[in-house]
Amino acid sequence: MNSILPIAVITFKEGLRRRVLYGVMVASLLLILFAVLISGLFMRDILKVMVDICLSSISLGGLLVPFFLAINLLAGDIENRTIYTLLARNISRSSYILGKFLGLAMLTGIIIIILMIATLVAIYCATLIYPAHNFLHFTLSPLFISTLMAFLGVLVLNSTVLLWCSVTTSSFLATLLTLSTYIIGHSVEDVVRFMNLKNTGVEISPMIQATAKAVLYIFPNLAAFDLKQQAAYSLPFVSQEITLLGLYGLSYISIMLFLAIFFFKRRDLP
Amino acid sequence: MSIFSCNQIHKSYQTGCLKHTRKKALTDVSFQVKQREVFGIIGLNGAGKSTILKIFMAFVKPDKGTVSINDQPVASKGSHQSIGYLPEHPSLYPHLSIKEHLQFGCRVAGLSAQEEKKRIQTALETVDLTEVAKMPIRGFSKGMTQRAALAYTILLKPEILILDEPMSGLDPLGRQLVLDIIQEYHDRGATILFCSHILTDVERICDRIGIMHQGQLVSVVTADSLDKDYVSTSTKGSQTPLEHYFLNTVRTEIS
Ligand SMILES: Nc1ncnc2c1ncn2[C@@H]1O[C@H](COP(=O)(O)OP(=O)(O)O)[C@@H](O)[C@H]1O
Ligand SMILES: [Mg+2]
Repeated sequence: MNSILPIAVITFKEGLRRRVLYGVMVASLLLILFAVLISGLFMRDILKVMVDICLSSISLGGLLVPFFLAINLLAGDIENRTIYTLLARNISRSSYILGKFLGLAMLTGIIIIILMIATLVAIYCATLIYPAHNFLHFTLSPLFISTLMAFLGVLVLNSTVLLWCSVTTSSFLATLLTLSTYIIGHSVEDVVRFMNLKNTGVEISPMIQATAKAVLYIFPNLAAFDLKQQAAYSLPFVSQEITLLGLYGLSYISIMLFLAIFFFKRRDLP
Repeated sequence: MSIFSCNQIHKSYQTGCLKHTRKKALTDVSFQVKQREVFGIIGLNGAGKSTILKIFMAFVKPDKGTVSINDQPVASKGSHQSIGYLPEHPSLYPHLSIKEHLQFGCRVAGLSAQEEKKRIQTALETVDLTEVAKMPIRGFSKGMTQRAALAYTILLKPEILILDEPMSGLDPLGRQLVLDIIQEYHDRGATILFCSHILTDVERICDRIGIMHQGQLVSVVTADSLDKDYVSTSTKGSQTPLEHYFLNTVRTEIS
């Protein structure tokens, strides 16, 4: 168990040196400029537009980790047999999975923190340029809460990447499965909501309805972690809802990690 | 007491994703390696040498049979406490330096900072990589990577070594280095299991030699008996005793 942290650190270091961070830095600088300049076009909604753009960039930046780093670092470990280097050190496969998850979480965290700082700088710059009455209703907490939930959403996706990488042998397949998870996770809630509407005039067979419900429970409901709109309109967050969402995310991650360990322990690493 | 022990192991790999065709890699392999022994496995490419070593490391599970190290079944907790494993094609993290890899090894083992420094320095000096300790691995040549992996393998001074083709990719100097390391560990009382297809190297350092052919362990000889045998039977000057014995064994297997 005491090997989890060293694995996380080595994953974090290797991830950082893959130059992703430079990309994030450049992107965040562009974001500052863009958000500050473009929000001027929306004279009434300057704050709303800014928050919206910034939060979108934060979740986009976070997604770099599951799509570009996680698959590369995990499937690459198995494909190039770098994993032998770790496992030969009397490290259990469960420590390996947990260490990798922690390392990826650290990478996600650092990217999101950088983008968060960029966001705050952008908003500060905007207050200097645009009239003050635009920013009267501005509070930090919705921004922080929605960023935190976006972070949790990325962690959920990271945990599914771990599962996919522990059941497949190719990084291509793992990428495909992660992409599907992402798309389904963002649309399944809408599909179910549409089917529950009474007056759509479309007959939906019970079979399909049941399938959609099952998919809703199996795949992560990633759309739920997207609280951009609420933050942009400065709608108050219900603390109960946030707690529930947090619990949902954490339990989903636990289940994914448990399954990943379960399958990973049983597989050959030839 | 035997350090390595495997009993009637069979292994086949699944080839193809949908069709469940399987490729046989090992058939009914059994052998024991005693403490302080150097056991070399030789065989042609694809004979199943690496598969045996991976089964001992629990990277691959046998379909049938039992495998134990130090009388503990492999996969169990603690059975790999003091093993150094060198893979066939060692792969380290390309953006990290050899020093960072060694630091990782020490931290997982829970060494103190002082001890860590000492171990890293010794390991780097042994393989002569002190100068490039901070360079990322991706700038290393094949031979340097092999040496770096070797440093990582012997970092904690293990009592058991499992080496998969330790000489591959090394220049004569590097080969001598590996031979010296194996000799040093042998003198210190370590148990070493390794495989190679370079017979002359095997001959110089092994106590016992197993010959594999198409997944089967067809013969096990001691180095001493090999010499006696050779002197009494052979007149071919161009072959070393092991080459002579190996070629004969493999030829009879084929015919
Ligand atoms: N991952 C794998 N998938 C399918 N077949 C494999 C795999 N690894 C090894 N084999 C097969 O198993 C046999 C033994 O391989 P290996 O143990 O690597 O041989 P050696 O190390 O003696 O060259 C070979 O025929 C090889 O083709
Ligand atoms: Mg091999």
